[in-house]
Amino acid sequence: MKKAENTRGLVHGLAAICLVGLMALPVMAAPGIPQGFDANGEKIFKRYDKTPLAATTGTDGKRNLNSYYELRQYPGSPPMIPHDVDPSFSSKGLKCLSCHEKGGYDSSKNAYAPVTPHPENELCFQCHVPKHAKKLFRENNWLSIAPPKLGISELAGSPPPIPHSLQLREDCIACHTGPAAVAEIRVEHASRGNCRQCHVPFISTAPAKEFKRKN
Amino acid sequence: MKLNRRSFIKSAAVSSAVATAGSIFPGISFADWKRVKGAYGITWKKAPCRFCGTGCGVLVGVTNNRAVAVKGDPNCSVNKGLCCVKGYHSVQALYGRDRLKKAQIRKNGKMVEVPIAEALDVIAAKLKETVKKHGKDSVAMYGSGQWTIPDGYVASKLFKGCLGTNNVEANARLCMASAVTGFMTSFGIDEPMGCYEDIEHADVFITWGNNMAEMHPVLFSRMLASRKRKKDVTIIDLATRTTRTSQAADRSILFKPNTDLAVANAICYEIIRNGWMDKDFVKKHTTFHKGKTNIGYGTEDHFKFKDKPENMSFAEYKNFLEDYTPEKAERISGVSARDIKYMASLYGDPTKKVTSFWCMGMNQHVRGTWINNLVYNIHLLTGKISTPGNSPFSLTGQPSACGTVREVGTLTHKLPYGVVMKEKARKKAEKIWDLPAGSIDPKPTYHTVEMFRALDRGDIRFMWIQVTNPMITMPNLNRYRNGALKDDRFIVVSDVYPTPTTDVADVILPASMWIEQEGMYGNSERRTQHFDEIVPGPGDTMSDTWQIIEVARRLGFKKQFPWSQKNYIGKIWEEYRRFHDNPKHNMAPYEVLKARSGVQWPFVNGKETRWRFNSKYDPACKKGSDFDFYGKKDGKAWIWARPYEPAAESPDQEYNFWLNTGRVIEHWHSGSMTRRIPILHNAVPESYVELNPEDAANLGVVNGELVKIISRRGSITMKASINGRGVPPKGMVFVPFFDEDYKINEVTLDAFCPISKQPDYKKCAVRLEKA
Repeated sequence: MKKAENTRGLVHGLAAICLVGLMALPVMAAPGIPQGFDANGEKIFKRYDKTPLAATTGTDGKRNLNSYYELRQYPGSPPMIPHDVDPSFSSKGLKCLSCHEKGGYDSSKNAYAPVTPHPENELCFQCHVPKHAKKLFRENNWLSIAPPKLGISELAGSPPPIPHSLQLREDCIACHTGPAAVAEIRVEHASRGNCRQCHVPFISTAPAKEFKRKN
Repeated sequence: MKLNRRSFIKSAAVSSAVATAGSIFPGISFADWKRVKGAYGITWKKAPCRFCGTGCGVLVGVTNNRAVAVKGDPNCSVNKGLCCVKGYHSVQALYGRDRLKKAQIRKNGKMVEVPIAEALDVIAAKLKETVKKHGKDSVAMYGSGQWTIPDGYVASKLFKGCLGTNNVEANARLCMASAVTGFMTSFGIDEPMGCYEDIEHADVFITWGNNMAEMHPVLFSRMLASRKRKKDVTIIDLATRTTRTSQAADRSILFKPNTDLAVANAICYEIIRNGWMDKDFVKKHTTFHKGKTNIGYGTEDHFKFKDKPENMSFAEYKNFLEDYTPEKAERISGVSARDIKYMASLYGDPTKKVTSFWCMGMNQHVRGTWINNLVYNIHLLTGKISTPGNSPFSLTGQPSACGTVREVGTLTHKLPYGVVMKEKARKKAEKIWDLPAGSIDPKPTYHTVEMFRALDRGDIRFMWIQVTNPMITMPNLNRYRNGALKDDRFIVVSDVYPTPTTDVADVILPASMWIEQEGMYGNSERRTQHFDEIVPGPGDTMSDTWQIIEVARRLGFKKQFPWSQKNYIGKIWEEYRRFHDNPKHNMAPYEVLKARSGVQWPFVNGKETRWRFNSKYDPACKKGSDFDFYGKKDGKAWIWARPYEPAAESPDQEYNFWLNTGRVIEHWHSGSMTRRIPILHNAVPESYVELNPEDAANLGVVNGELVKIISRRGSITMKASINGRGVPPKGMVFVPFFDEDYKINEVTLDAFCPISKQPDYKKCAVRLEKA
């Protein structure tokens, strides 16, 4: 038990979930609470308390839609880089893909790296730039549109359509699963695999069409 | 984990966000739905999905007599709680604004609404009059693989039994007739030996011209999940066009249209040459045969063909295969000898269980029966059949192509049990149907294409079309639409929406759709699936079964159609079941069907049969046998020598492209239902022509520009799609057929497999112009 406690911060990703699953659960009597009733229901609360957040919610809780859109100028724009990068920005020393191709835990940031849906584009800085200035050069009257609403299912419980264009965002699993996924749009059934079996594009900014016979 | 204040706030925020995202409602505002008034609770009722032949179980959520939601039925072993995008939104197809709610009759050239009883009177009178004037074979029923089992059963009883004409066909002729003749010629009995559980057992999957990722997505997901879970599962996509299935496969192998015949023979050649044949199995359980060759294409009226099977020895069969060494097959098919050897090694590896999947690619094929035979050959030579995971699996495209068309036998030569040519089968039907001996005509009349030709010629004057849309789906459509529009042709159409087929109707009957009536479907794996009337239909809508019963009674057949509207489905089922009272085909009783999410036949002693012809699983097998292919008299399956022959029309100097047609995941069949579902229509609002990028560059068109596709029969102008959903090879274009505004079947050819009479929608020659 001790050992598991000590290493918890170091184990990564799914390994953490497996290890937690294997830990023996201590049944320690809390003062004044009788034991062994309610089908030992106390175990649930103990387990909940001991299980790291990433393992219970599936995300590390660092990214949500607010922080996601804060990095973008409009829904669908390339996000800026929210962390330090080598100022030279030469691809030699800069290996975005070492973290962002497959994701994983970065202990220096105590966070899981988001996975890019388009790792085949290796010239990252073509679209993604860091933020160095503290102040704008001049103010700007830019207005954006509202991001797509969540859960716009056609029917109660039916799979929601894909509200965004698939251009450069065709790899659903990269953004919608894993510990770095944005909490609100993370899916719990990525094991299904063939995403477009159930989810088809219905771009929220495009006008909806109705089928009408021509004659 | 001790919580300090900060981490508590963070964790609460995350878990509430996750809860919101995960459980769709409540907490998220739903766009601008109109709500059902006063509705709070939902009750869930089981049904099979309305669309493809997979036969997913769905649970339909109902509130105040309205269907409002769908989820996958976890009790249904087909899909285990998962649907596809069509299934999830299927109930929206009930509520399209232009739903047909009233009967209509053509009066002075215009369709006018009438009470449905009046329309039924007119139909009965016209039927009687036409039979009197032109003979019993001048009236026809054209039904559907979307008919419920009772629909097809009463249609057959009325036309074949009471009226004595074998003019009963169904659109399943266009979709799985080659699968049937494949089964009949190889095994002597129809429908797959295996079941969907094969997917979890197999190590290798080969999809033969079968874009399962879009057309059978739920089964494809099962395949992908199995590959992910297990080690060393291999998926090979053997096709004529690159699709989503190719993307997901471990290997995509392309062959030239119609040359799958050569590839399959070459695989057999390699299996024998390398000693991978299961000699014991082949000796005990198979015999070798050949049939006629150069068998034609049926493009001319009155085309007749009858195969003449002859026995042959194994040595002769081996000799036949000499024409199909991998190198020779490579020259025919364009598939490298290496790839052929690779596939043969997968089929031949004794440690690997192999499942082959196919659907329209092999069935809509001018040699459809042959290619079905040849893939069975591969499985028979290696003994990889009728055991879990070893499965030659013919999929169907419609929800009850198996249940209604193949099992009830709504084809010109068929009866619910046996064929009209056999006296024993006729007698059985006449007995169950309470008809005098000799009521059923021993001669089959017209298969579908010939039936529409007969309508054009005037041999048929009255046609009743139910649950299908032939004015989109018939090949060489111009001829058959003009035929239907001729004077003195009377067309009755029962449907749920206006379509190009109701456009040619003289009477339109508003039909109940899917769960607005009680019924049963039968899916690809011999599974019969019952559904109750779950919601009421609008207006005067009436089930297709009841429409036929009403007309039958008006014609004086009250004795044969005695049931009350309250319980007719159960009564019809129990009568129908008498045709299948043997362990090779026993169907489950009505009560069992009602209770379960689908039941497989043969249903013997309260148990479903998962794998047929294997005595471990199939009680119909001879005692003491290991395998018993009991469809054939000697219990042995037939291995066929079938050569490669080219398509009916191949590209030439003038018409230099192949035209291939098919579907997309969003739209089903002719789109009359799926296009009225907003999410599906918006995902694919119109059809298009897929071009190879090089061909597009040569033609000078970019994505979205118009291309004119011209064949010897017609032409059509539509938008180009380059690197879209699929990519055809150079020299081929592909068009989805769902869109009534771009009727690609005006361009296709009505050539068919001479044995199955199923048209080939995948191959004809066209040329292209930039429009």
